[in-house]
Amino acid sequence: MPSDGLNSRAAVWAILRKECRSEWRTRYGLNASLLFALTSLTGVSFAVGRLSDRTDILSALLWIVLLFSALASLSHTFVREVEGRTLTLLRLVASPTAIGLGKLLFNLLFLLVIEVVTVPLFLTLMAAPGPRWPAFLGVLGAGSVALAAAATVVGAIISQTRGRGALFAGAAFPVLLPVLAAAVSGTRAQWSGGAVGPELRLLCAYAVALLAASLLLYDHLWED
Amino acid sequence: MVGNAVVMGVSLLVWGLLFYYLVRLERRVSELEKK
Amino acid sequence: MVLRGSLLLWIAGWMVAAFLWAPLVPVLGETTRVLYFHIPVAWVTVFALAWSMVHSLLYLRRRNMEHDHHAMAAAEIGLLFCVAATVSGSLWAKAMWGSYWNWDPRETSIFFLLLVYAAYLALRGAIDQDERRARLSAVYSATAFVAVPFLMFVVPRIYFTLHPDPLINPRGKIDMDPRIRVVFFALLAGFTALYFWILSVRVRVARLERRSQEA
Repeated sequence: MPSDGLNSRAAVWAILRKECRSEWRTRYGLNASLLFALTSLTGVSFAVGRLSDRTDILSALLWIVLLFSALASLSHTFVREVEGRTLTLLRLVASPTAIGLGKLLFNLLFLLVIEVVTVPLFLTLMAAPGPRWPAFLGVLGAGSVALAAAATVVGAIISQTRGRGALFAGAAFPVLLPVLAAAVSGTRAQWSGGAVGPELRLLCAYAVALLAASLLLYDHLWED
Repeated sequence: MVGNAVVMGVSLLVWGLLFYYLVRLERRVSELEKK
Repeated sequence: MVLRGSLLLWIAGWMVAAFLWAPLVPVLGETTRVLYFHIPVAWVTVFALAWSMVHSLLYLRRRNMEHDHHAMAAAEIGLLFCVAATVSGSLWAKAMWGSYWNWDPRETSIFFLLLVYAAYLALRGAIDQDERRARLSAVYSATAFVAVPFLMFVVPRIYFTLHPDPLINPRGKIDMDPRIRVVFFALLAGFTALYFWILSVRVRVARLERRSQEA
């Protein structure tokens, strides 16, 4: 039965710290993910070259690289739990909601680390025009939160099935499609001088909706 | 004109076959339910 | 049996009317008749999705396996109808505008539904235990349910800016002529009845499967 001892916020924080610690111990997941992100980025850059004038394609490519990196990396937290059999232990200590939130924050942090490396490299390699930083970062941030929220809940579902990476990608993609569309549109808008307000609002609203839904659903995910 | 008649005929045929298939399927299910 | 017979005659009859009685829509020409199939089928696919999602939520709340049967059956049927809608729409687009696929808002939406159905069924296929399969697929269904309205908002914005050529919306002009309208709504009702019939058969099969498993 989940937690009386650990109140929710402390539980979330504890889970986040635990995830960071286990990740940092081996760094396997982080290394593999960074490698994947850089590989896909290199592949794109090599195949396409400089694209200064086509900001619409640039926006799309940036988010495709980020999307694929997320799909390749963000299910790891749950898979690690299932394979290490530590999930039962975790559930004795914290409520499903706290676990979900802790994992989400970790995934978000993970994604941000990947972006810190990948995004500047992307802008440089593809000779992208200078972005309007507030708008650009706003879309990046909101998009990342939505990405992480979707990936976390879908990852939690998939980790309990026989399927792994491919099923995770397939199941996550429909849920991530609105993020992809809005993020690409927003990124393109900030380059072409338009307003990013609508896309930002949509991304934030979607992130909030996913978050709310997932918090309600985590109780149903881990029952046995 | 002829084209229209052909398409109509094919459509009706397809619908008829689908219907027939569904009726047979349902009969099989009813039999299994009785056991 | 009377009901089924009437459905047979209803759909067959209105199909004949579509070819012989209802006039053509000027913009569409001979392809007019596709709309009597394509739009009802697309409608059923959306309806089936809603049915499936509602039953998923009901399952989570009540834990009655009947809801899972309905969720699964509706998803399977929805997938079939979705493929039919996508293919018929694509052929229609080719006849009307010369290309099979354009990523215009409607095409994108139907493709999205295809993805959701496929992902849901693939997820179910990856779980062996009944209860777990019902529960996890219901959670996924609820998650996808959140995505649907956002996609409806996002898609028109995106693809209006990417593909500015306004692909003519046939639906606006169609319901002008009363004969067209009658045939259309008659077939819409017919296809919906067909959906419920197939659904009931599929749910009964699921119950039988479950019964044989428990035996």
